[in-house]
Amino acid sequence: MTAWGLAWRTIARSPARSVLAVVGVTVIGALLFDMLLLSRGLLVSFRDLLEAQDFDIRVVAAEGSMVHRPPIANATSLAEAIARLPQVRRVTLLRTESAQAIVPGGDHLRIALVGTTSAAAGSVWTMTSGASLPTVTAAGAPPPLVISTRLASELQLEPGSELQLRLFRPGTASALPLVAARVIGVAQFTFEAADEYTVATTMEGFAAAAGTRDSTVAEMVLVSSQKGAGAAAAAAIARLRPDVRALSNEQVMEQFNENAFSYFRQISTVLSSMTLAFAFLLIATLLTMSVNQRLGEVAALRALGFPRRRIAANLLWESVLLVGVGGVAALPVGGLLALALDRILRQMPGVPERLHFFVFEPRTVVLHAVLLSVTGALAAVYPIWLATSLPIAATLRREILS
Amino acid sequence: MTGAAMPIIEGRGLTRSFAMPAGAVTALGDVSIRVEPQDYVAITGPSGCGKSTLLHILGCVDRPSAGSLEFEGRDVRGLTEAERSRIRLTRIGFVFQRFFLLPMLTAWENIELPQSEAGATKAARHARTRELLDYVGLAERSDHRPSQLSGGEMQRVAIARALANRPALLLADEPTGELDEETGAQIAGLFDRVHADGTAIVVVTHNPAVAARAGRHLAMKSGRVVTS
Repeated sequence: MTAWGLAWRTIARSPARSVLAVVGVTVIGALLFDMLLLSRGLLVSFRDLLEAQDFDIRVVAAEGSMVHRPPIANATSLAEAIARLPQVRRVTLLRTESAQAIVPGGDHLRIALVGTTSAAAGSVWTMTSGASLPTVTAAGAPPPLVISTRLASELQLEPGSELQLRLFRPGTASALPLVAARVIGVAQFTFEAADEYTVATTMEGFAAAAGTRDSTVAEMVLVSSQKGAGAAAAAAIARLRPDVRALSNEQVMEQFNENAFSYFRQISTVLSSMTLAFAFLLIATLLTMSVNQRLGEVAALRALGFPRRRIAANLLWESVLLVGVGGVAALPVGGLLALALDRILRQMPGVPERLHFFVFEPRTVVLHAVLLSVTGALAAVYPIWLATSLPIAATLRREILS
Repeated sequence: MTGAAMPIIEGRGLTRSFAMPAGAVTALGDVSIRVEPQDYVAITGPSGCGKSTLLHILGCVDRPSAGSLEFEGRDVRGLTEAERSRIRLTRIGFVFQRFFLLPMLTAWENIELPQSEAGATKAARHARTRELLDYVGLAERSDHRPSQLSGGEMQRVAIARALANRPALLLADEPTGELDEETGAQIAGLFDRVHADGTAIVVVTHNPAVAARAGRHLAMKSGRVVTS
């Protein structure tokens, strides 16, 4: 009989204890799996979101933080200069502000108003009905709006509906006039949060809502570079204006990784370590109890000539079986738990609906297996030492006397 | 070449002391013993006189504090733990008072296990296990687990397990200690057969009926052999 076979029979000998051990490892393994998913999930999901867009360079004001940056002055002329660069394929401007959307004689909601050019369509949003933003807004015509599907559903709007807008600006909101606008299309917005309603309009429409004729200000210039020319394009843009920074997707990821995402990584590292410690204690305790209950058997096997390595192999296999079965069962349990936790976390204010906190990667399964295997092996060290170092004669004598 | 055949095991001046908080306790003092092939030796004496200690030293599961021990001409003191394990596995059979069968294995599997460890082929294991189950009269109980066997049946399985690798020496420590008189007599009869079939036996026993069947007697008292 192989060490594996003997280990299996030993485990099957105490079904209740073995089931408890497997359930324990399953629960702990599921938590570990979720922590590992969390440690990279947000990063992977954010990168997917960035790469799903057609823009690979973001131009922002050089001053300020990634989240709070002042607008770029003369953004229109900057966009035109960028568009002339040979490495650049497409350029669009972006402005955002909180606003109030009011249905004449009806409901009103707080929205995120995005001012941009038609070039943003197809990457920042995906049309579901109606038309996208026009290149040129006719003089005197109401600002055209592309609204999110959620807003359309909430206020029962469709292309052709009228909507009034009023921007929120600290200290000036009450002074800003209501601007009558017209819905021309409904779309799904990539970065819309679960608690947010997004409305896009032209830069002129945004300026009108802001009570100004200046449509040359933007917070961000989105740039699509020619294939393989991202770095050269970013360098060329940086040379155009010293007061702006051109960030590639990788640089954006790096900045978020160093700031916002590092908290998740640290939390998941601490919790992963805790779950591994629990797994270690659980297995080590159960195996030690098991060995202590059969010291006489172990001593007899040793007296019969079974070498220490065989006793050690049996115990190691017992640990591998308990951790292996529990670890495999932990994957679907952890997966279901991750789905539920992801749903809860995505309800947080301001989190884009398409962003996920728990993202499955094959490497996570491999890491999960490696960590549990190492833990199982380490947990077997003490029981193995206990079983292989016991004095045979004294143990047999004690067992007889007891 | 002439002269006596090599003994299976020979101990000279065997002493075993245990360190205790109140000072060293000598469980075995200056005992010499020689076990030849075909010997059947009974060791008797009161509890705590050192019988089991001597048996454990002869079985290479314990080391003497002093004295020399040779197994089939090899100095046991110079052997590694792995080499001593190999001797126990292939050349010595152990029978314990409490049987120590593995409860999750059947009678067949308990007997097959030492053969498997010794590297016997599947066919050889199968033939030997069947032979031994017939030998101890338990062919019909081969798929029974220890919990499904009586005390006498468990001890017969334990004897079959001890004989699995055809040892030169069978050591038994109070083999009838857990059995009633009638069952004990059956086990003693089985030892007679084992001895008659060519295996040397050293048995530690309180049972006069078992001791009476042995060809040699060692009576021990306070760690010493008082009559031989």
